Amino acid sequence: MSQMLSPDMTIAAEAAAKVKIEVKNLNFYYGQSKALKDITLSLPERSVTAFIGPSGCGKSTLLRVFNRIYELYPNQTAEGQVLLDGQNVLDRSQDLNLLRTKIGMVFQKPTPFPMSIYENIAFGIRLYEKLSKSEMDGRVEQALKRAALWTEVKDKLSASGLSLSGGQQQRLCIARTVAVKPEVILLDEPASALDPLSTAKIEELIDELQADYTIVIVTHNMQQAARVSKQTAFMYLGELVEFDRTEKIFTSPREKRTQDYITGRFG
Amino acid sequence: MTTVSEAMPSLAAMQAREATVRRFALTDAIFRAATRFSAILVLLILGGVAISLFVGSWQAMSTFGVSFLTTESWNPVTEKFGALAPIYGTVVTAAISILIAVPIGIGIAIFLTELCPRPLRRPIGIAVELLAGIPSIIYGIWGLFIFAPFVQTTIQPFFINLFHDVPVLSSLFAGPPYGIGLLTSSMILAIMVLPFITSITKDVFDTVPAVLKESAYGIGCTTWEVTRRVVIPYTRVGIMGGVMLGLGRALGETMAVTFVIGNAHRISASLFAPGTTISATIANEFTEADGELYTSSLIALGLILFVITFLILAIARYMLMRIDRRTGA
Repeated sequence: MSQMLSPDMTIAAEAAAKVKIEVKNLNFYYGQSKALKDITLSLPERSVTAFIGPSGCGKSTLLRVFNRIYELYPNQTAEGQVLLDGQNVLDRSQDLNLLRTKIGMVFQKPTPFPMSIYENIAFGIRLYEKLSKSEMDGRVEQALKRAALWTEVKDKLSASGLSLSGGQQQRLCIARTVAVKPEVILLDEPASALDPLSTAKIEELIDELQADYTIVIVTHNMQQAARVSKQTAFMYLGELVEFDRTEKIFTSPREKRTQDYITGRFG
Repeated sequence: MTTVSEAMPSLAAMQAREATVRRFALTDAIFRAATRFSAILVLLILGGVAISLFVGSWQAMSTFGVSFLTTESWNPVTEKFGALAPIYGTVVTAAISILIAVPIGIGIAIFLTELCPRPLRRPIGIAVELLAGIPSIIYGIWGLFIFAPFVQTTIQPFFINLFHDVPVLSSLFAGPPYGIGLLTSSMILAIMVLPFITSITKDVFDTVPAVLKESAYGIGCTTWEVTRRVVIPYTRVGIMGGVMLGLGRALGETMAVTFVIGNAHRISASLFAPGTTISATIANEFTEADGELYTSSLIALGLILFVITFLILAIARYMLMRIDRRTGA
C-alpha cells in the first residue's frame, strides 16, 4: 500500500495545483463492519476527480465522509484525517453547517426542495447571507446560468421545483449547490438516474465548473469517469487500489485489478 | 427422482392434484364471499345509522326548520329547541383543543423523528400512543376532580390577570373562575387528540426521503431549518390529514367533555363560562327527554354531529390520499 503514495504525490506535482483535500489513513465503520480501509490520497484544487469501482467498494462512503453527512446516522464512524486546506474536517470542533456550506453535495436522485424554483436556490443563500431582493435575484440568476438552466426556467421561477424534468431537477440541485459558493462540490452518481441527453448536459456542466471548483464525482459509468475527470481513483472492497491520472488509469493501469475492472473482466 | 417420473406424473398424482385444486377453488370462493359480506356490512351499518338519524330527527326538523340551527334557546318546558349553543360549544372546544394539540403534537413528532436519541425513541412513542388508550371516562373523572380545581385556582386567575387590560382577550378570559367550562374541556380534549396528531405526523415525517434531508443538511441547514423548510412543507398534506382526524375525534368526544363543560345551554363570550356540546347534551338529556319533540330534537343534534364529523373525516381521508399518491409517484 505504501508504494501507492508516490504516484499520488506526482499527480499533484504534475497538475502543479495546490492540494485541496488530503485524506490520511482514513478508516470508516458501519457499526462493526469496516467500509474503508486506510485510505490515503490527495485531491488537487480546481480539477475533477472521479471515484470508480464496483457497488459496495466504498466510493460513496468516502464521498460522504468529506462533508460528514454520514453523521446524520448513528453507528457510522470515521477515523483518520481529512484535511480541507490543511484543516482536519473530522475534528470534533469543526462546525458542521459551516463545513457543508464549503463542501456542497449533489445526490444520485434529484432532490428539489418542496418549494418554488427561485426559492430552491434562494433558500440556501438566505441561510448564511442577508441580501436585498435585487441582490438575491442576481444571485439566483447567476446560479441558474451557471447550471445551464436559466434559459429553460427564467419564465417560470415561481413554479414548483418538482414540476421540472429529471434532468432539469438535477441541474437545479447543482445550481442550488453552486449558489451557496462552496469550494468543493461532491457529486454522488449525479447522472445515473438521467437519460443520455441530460447526462451529456450534466457532464458539460461539470467540465465548466472545474474552472472554479474542486469537484469529486462518484460514478458507476467508466466512460463518464474517462470523459469528465482529470484523475481517477479505483476502489475495491474498501481499499484504494489505484489513483492516477485518468488517461493512465484507462490506458495503462499499474494494477491488475484495475485492468480487469476497466476492461469489464471483473468478478 | 428420475427424469421420466418428472415428465409424466402418475395417474394417482394427477388426481390428487385435481382434488387439491378443487378444494382451493371452494375455499377461495368462501373466503371471497366472507370478505365481501364484511365490506358490504360496513356500508349497510353506515347507511342504517344515517337513515335512522334522519327519520328520528324528522319531527324536530319539520317543526323548527332552519331556525333549529340558528336558535340559542333550549327549553324543554315550552318545547322550544335550538341547536346553536351545542353547535357553538362543539366547534369552539374542538377548535381550541386543536390549537393546543397541533403545536405540541408536531413538536413531539419532530423530536421523535429528528432529534431523539435512539434508545428513547420507542419508549416515548409508546407512551404517546398509550395516551390514546386511556378510556375517556378516566379523562372525565380526572378532569373533574383534579384538573378542573387546578384550572380554577391556577390557570384561570393567571389568564384573568394577564389579559384584564387587553380589549378582546379580556372578554374571552373573563368571569368567575368556575374551573369547569369551555376552556377546561378544550384542554382535556387537547390531551385526548394529541396521540392521533403525533402518531400520524410522525409517520408522515418518516416518509420524507433521507436523501432530501441529506441535501438540505448538505447546503448547511440546521435541524430546525431542515424541519421548517423541507420536512414540514413536504408532509404538509399528511399533517393536515392527521389534524383532521384529531378534529373528528374532538368533535365527537362525549364522556370527558360532559364531566367538565358545565352543561349550560348558552353562548358566552368568555371561555371560562360553562357551555355544552352536541354529544354532551345528548348524553345528559336522553334519559329525561319525555316529549317526542324533545327526543327528536336530540336526534337532530346527533344528525348534525354526524354530518360535521363525516365531512371532516372525508376531508382528512382525501388529504391523506393525496400525500400517498405523491410519495408513490
